[in-house]
Amino acid sequence: MALGKEQMKLLYRNLVRADHFDKMMMNRIMQGKLIGFYHPGDGAMAAGVGASTFLGDDDILNPHHRAHGLGYAAGRGVDIGRYLAEHTGKVDGCCGGRSSFHWSFPEKKMYGASGFIGWHFCPVVGWGWASKRKGNQMVLMASGDGSYGQGGAHEAMLFAMNWKLPIVFFCENNGMAIHSTISDMHPMPDISSLAQGYGMPAVVIDGQDVFAVAETVMAARKHALAGKGPTFVEAKTLRLREHDVGTPDLARAEPREAAYLEELKKRDPVVLATSRVLAEKVLTQKQIDKIYKDAKAEVEQVEKFADDSPVAQPSIEELLAGVYVA
Amino acid sequence: MSEVRELPLVEAIKEAYRQEMERDESVFMVGQDIAGGIFPHTKGLVEQFGTDRIVDTPLAELGMYGTAFGAAMEGFRPIVDFMFAGFFLNAASPILAQTAQFRFIHGSQMSLPMVITGACGAGMRLGNEHAMLVHNMIAQVPGIKVCMPSTPYDAKGMMIAAIRDDNPVAFIWHLGTMMDRGPVPEEPYVVPLGVADVKREGSDVTLVANGFQYKNAGIVADRLAGEISVEIIDPRSFSPLDIDTILKSLEKTGRLVVVDESWESRSTASEIAAQVVDRGFDLLDAPIRRVTIPNMPLPGGHMEPYVAPNPDAIEAAVRDVCR
Ligand SMILES: Cc1ncc(C[n+]2csc(CCOP(=O)(O)OP(=O)(O)O)c2C)c(N)n1
Ligand SMILES: [Mg+2]
Repeated sequence: MALGKEQMKLLYRNLVRADHFDKMMMNRIMQGKLIGFYHPGDGAMAAGVGASTFLGDDDILNPHHRAHGLGYAAGRGVDIGRYLAEHTGKVDGCCGGRSSFHWSFPEKKMYGASGFIGWHFCPVVGWGWASKRKGNQMVLMASGDGSYGQGGAHEAMLFAMNWKLPIVFFCENNGMAIHSTISDMHPMPDISSLAQGYGMPAVVIDGQDVFAVAETVMAARKHALAGKGPTFVEAKTLRLREHDVGTPDLARAEPREAAYLEELKKRDPVVLATSRVLAEKVLTQKQIDKIYKDAKAEVEQVEKFADDSPVAQPSIEELLAGVYVA
Repeated sequence: MSEVRELPLVEAIKEAYRQEMERDESVFMVGQDIAGGIFPHTKGLVEQFGTDRIVDTPLAELGMYGTAFGAAMEGFRPIVDFMFAGFFLNAASPILAQTAQFRFIHGSQMSLPMVITGACGAGMRLGNEHAMLVHNMIAQVPGIKVCMPSTPYDAKGMMIAAIRDDNPVAFIWHLGTMMDRGPVPEEPYVVPLGVADVKREGSDVTLVANGFQYKNAGIVADRLAGEISVEIIDPRSFSPLDIDTILKSLEKTGRLVVVDESWESRSTASEIAAQVVDRGFDLLDAPIRRVTIPNMPLPGGHMEPYVAPNPDAIEAAVRDVCR
């Protein structure tokens, strides 16, 4: 499914935005201007952008936890101001400042993050089931290579294949889960090999190539909407930095090698995308400069919005009123 | 007399692991990323004990717990580290439905010696899933012991007791106490499970608190010094619960405030209140006050400090029972 020029422009723009948002979060956590953790997505923002930019409005989107889903949020058109306000515990946060980094935008059919890695393997069955009943919608469920250690992954794949549910299992394989490497955790290098046991179509793609990701996901989406069932899309990506800001960057108990990390930097998805849009004359350097300028302005605007919003400190009574539906 | 060395609480826990693993070949640890270490309590152990005894697993709590569960039946003494204690819920069915109840149901023939551990607690503003204390969920089930240390001394002694105990023991520790320093003897020693500790003597009110809340209780006792004399009791174990020490204190004070970093209903605070009313009704000069998390999921963000028990809330409760 070849991409048109306008589609490529949009992907490129979203990638640059997502990259700026990730850097904004990095800066803020280091300045103490963010609540909780930040798990940087540096060098790995293409997969989320590619997977989410062309979904339908009715599709359900579960973001990966890395970069706290920013690639997916950028692709989906989420209000990043309200996203950041949530991460800073502000009144205008998308969950009223309660969720810390477990944000959600139900109106965008992004039903929310959990601190339990792999939690989504449970509701994804119902997301798929409901989507099939309703028709004309599907599920993009993203998560990491590590999450496929959870037994629930198998239940989800079993149900999805048995019932031909319209789900894309989108795996961002960065070869790491905290200090564990992929070979510590999985007997096979490709996570998508798990899907084969269920007879699920599976593809391995370059997760650094935002265009390839988008093309593959659009094809898998079409497959799902045609009633043909789930697809497993494995996007090979990388982790440039430590698992979360402040944690040592180890592989098992040893520091990851600087030379290896330098090698990874050569696969920067923004650099790759830039050379392609220039080579294919999709964008001029001048247009690219403008995209950067706009992204920078958006970051400033987003930060101002979040910083200006008052701290959310409702009374216990107000909070108790939110536990049950009245 | 030479001064006793001071250690942070996490280092005290690590020393317990190290000494028990040196003493007993059957002790091993299983968890995620424990070789590299998420919290400092496992850092450096793999160098000494190797990967046969510091066992990293895939990101799979069921399989991880299964390693401990099955190995315990085969004579090993596993320590299974859930990283954040709340993640135990991913293995809740084998822990609560089987492990705890297995021995009894199968004629009290087998023992399942193991330690289930993890960090938890409010303070990092991470929200319910990372912060939640799981002691009450586990302590509801007979057949498994549950405890949490408040000081480095207790942390080492209780961890050694937990490892040597022939029952499954859930030993949780509060992130807000992780770097607290205190005296820790170098030689191995045991702090018995199921025994509370009078950590500070007083005569007007009995204040029960542990983990991070023990520190908050101390803050309140300091604030009230000269005005209200506060006796602080650290229950140390939630199950079995040492109610006698609390009753004994009430003979003196007649007033009880229980702090429990957990939901108000069906908590250790509720359990203590019920047992005190049962066995010590005549000792009470005032209603019992519980300082807990109101019955709502613990929010993250800026709400955590006032929704979770805190010095102001504890002080208000103490003043209330001393009116
Ligand atoms: C149930 C559960 N177990 C463990 C953790 C701790 N944890 C947080 S992120 C993570 C690694 C996730 O790896 P992966 O899915 O590959 O995503 P990545 O971080 O590599 O992007 C782990 C083990 C958790 N949050 N939840
Ligand atoms: Mg990973």
